[in-house]
Amino acid sequence: MAEKRKKSRSENLFLRYLILGAWALFCVAPVLWFLSIGLRPRTEIITPTPVYFPSFSLDAWHMIWEDWPMAKYLRNSVGAIFGSVIIDLVLAIPAAYSLSRFEYRGREDIGFYILSTRMMAPAIVAVPIFFLFRTLGLLDTIWALMLIYAAINLSFVTWIIRSYMLDIPKELEDAAKTDGAGELRILWEIIVPAILPGIITASVIAMIFAINEFLFTLLIASTPDAYTMSVALANFTGGSDGIIYNAIALVAFIAFLPVFVVVVAIQKHLSRGLTMGAVKG
Amino acid sequence: MARIELENIQKKWGAYWGVRDVNIDIADEEFIVFLGPSGCGKTTTMRMIAGLESPTEGTIRMDGEVMNDIDARDRDVAMVFQGYALYPNMTIYENIRFPLRMRGVPKGEQDALVRRAAGLVELTDFLDRKPGALSGGQRQRAALARAIVRQPQVFLMDEPLSNLDAKLRQAMRVQIKHIQRELKITTVYVTHDQIEAMTLADRIVIMQLGAIQQIGTPDEIYNDPANTFVANFIGSPPMNLIEGRLSEGTFTAPGLRVEGLSPRYAGKVTLGVRPEDCTVTEEGAHLQGSVYGVEPTGDVTYLTLKAGEKLVEVKADRAYRAALGHVESVRFDPDRIYLFDTETGQRLR
Ligand SMILES: Nc1ncnc2c1ncn2[C@@H]1O[C@H](COP(=O)(O)OP(=O)(O)O)[C@@H](O)[C@H]1O
Ligand SMILES: [Mg+2]
Repeated sequence: MAEKRKKSRSENLFLRYLILGAWALFCVAPVLWFLSIGLRPRTEIITPTPVYFPSFSLDAWHMIWEDWPMAKYLRNSVGAIFGSVIIDLVLAIPAAYSLSRFEYRGREDIGFYILSTRMMAPAIVAVPIFFLFRTLGLLDTIWALMLIYAAINLSFVTWIIRSYMLDIPKELEDAAKTDGAGELRILWEIIVPAILPGIITASVIAMIFAINEFLFTLLIASTPDAYTMSVALANFTGGSDGIIYNAIALVAFIAFLPVFVVVVAIQKHLSRGLTMGAVKG
Repeated sequence: MARIELENIQKKWGAYWGVRDVNIDIADEEFIVFLGPSGCGKTTTMRMIAGLESPTEGTIRMDGEVMNDIDARDRDVAMVFQGYALYPNMTIYENIRFPLRMRGVPKGEQDALVRRAAGLVELTDFLDRKPGALSGGQRQRAALARAIVRQPQVFLMDEPLSNLDAKLRQAMRVQIKHIQRELKITTVYVTHDQIEAMTLADRIVIMQLGAIQQIGTPDEIYNDPANTFVANFIGSPPMNLIEGRLSEGTFTAPGLRVEGLSPRYAGKVTLGVRPEDCTVTEEGAHLQGSVYGVEPTGDVTYLTLKAGEKLVEVKADRAYRAALGHVESVRFDPDRIYLFDTETGQRLR
């Protein structure tokens, strides 16, 4: 009996690894294939039969760094994205605190309004936004991108942070009050550290959205001065040289890498419990 | 150092009364204990004193000054919360130090105070841990240390020992009482444990369903209960409450006859007698019943007799033993028999 149970458990384990392994392969294979396209010569990309073991070539690598202002695109991307996330957090944390903690008239309406900004198709506001930024003289700058990305993400960043704040036991703030702390101190010393996982989660999602943003970036960035990775990627597809697949693949891979690194680095926080022993279990 | 007056305090949520008609005058340096079953409004009353909840009606005064509109942070109370409410991202050391920082205690004095408070609750070895890495009892002690680290006007403690094991609870009880006597700080203490209440309190406030049933010293509450609720709640094992009839000073119930009681009352009456005021004896016996259970505890033996349908608990000699079904006679101490109106539960004096 015991023998049998042991056996079935190891079979179980084997099956589990098989399924997980297959799933991992399914997810990773396209990425690796992309990388292999980026690192092979152009002649081995479009062929009658797939080339599984291509020769190694840094042609595309040299091309994107030397013939194109790749470093600049990367800088633009990183600057616009980080800037937008910082703007979001500065605005969303106090807003979420207010929405989750204080009772006042119209609170629910304000909450809904914030969320509703996510509900319309972005194209509807594209034209007014173009004129707005032209009037402000911000066209073709990363400042405009920062503001746009921040505006796009603000609603759900606020919403995520608010939901984490709602999970914090009220007793925690009561304790801080009787200990003599003011509202701002409570927010900064008690609430923010306690919902750090939520803040990180919201920031990462905002980053991913910002990296993938295309429509508004294309609208605002008319010269390489404000091109980001996503728009630059699109530009590789044109030109007199034809479609340069290996360079595209490599740029796509580079665009993907930072998100991947960030997610791996913080995945512990993404799933970590919230209050961690603050109150009785 | 503060006197606290609660005057006609009511707390309503919609149509629901959390607390009603609470009137207490807590003297400076007094140790007062709120005792009552879960949900009777103890925590709510305490939160109103702390300023975390405002009364629907009534006045709260500290040292004569009306506090109703004073913020919790300006009331100078230290509170132990029922759910501990430790700051999860701070170490235990930082948790205990937090009120010192907030109240502007000079930096140089903080460390010694934190270590002293941690020492009193035996947590010195755990100062570097986060609350998440402590057991329930340790967290509770950390919450206690955070409250006693400074010298506020008032201590508020909401079931601060509920999660400790019996031995530690006893030790902490002594510790809390000692600290309170030494610092002479007015203390409001909430518990549902009558032993804690009896041992700690200068005065006990017994609550039920949001209303005060009786206020008095532990002796008064024990010797002179105002109604059946108090009589039943205080004492372990609780007072026997036997329903019967009273006429011309004689109380009768199945298996039970007591003469020489007050002739002023008649009709449906509940007789109360504590197990410790009963003696197993034939002589002048009031009650006859068959042995239903015998519980030796080492120190004493508790005997349960069945008289009619009623089970009556009696404290017997530690050597007492008897077979089930054996018929036994019991005498009550005539000076310690209580009479209650069966309808209202109120004491008949
Ligand atoms: N914020 C609230 N809203 C509605 N009812 C409440 C609230 N807080 C407490 N109560 C109710 O008031 C009663 C008294 O609660 P509480 O003071 O916590 O009791 P205790 O501390 O004696 O166990 C309970 O029935 C509880 O459900
Ligand atoms: Mg309570």
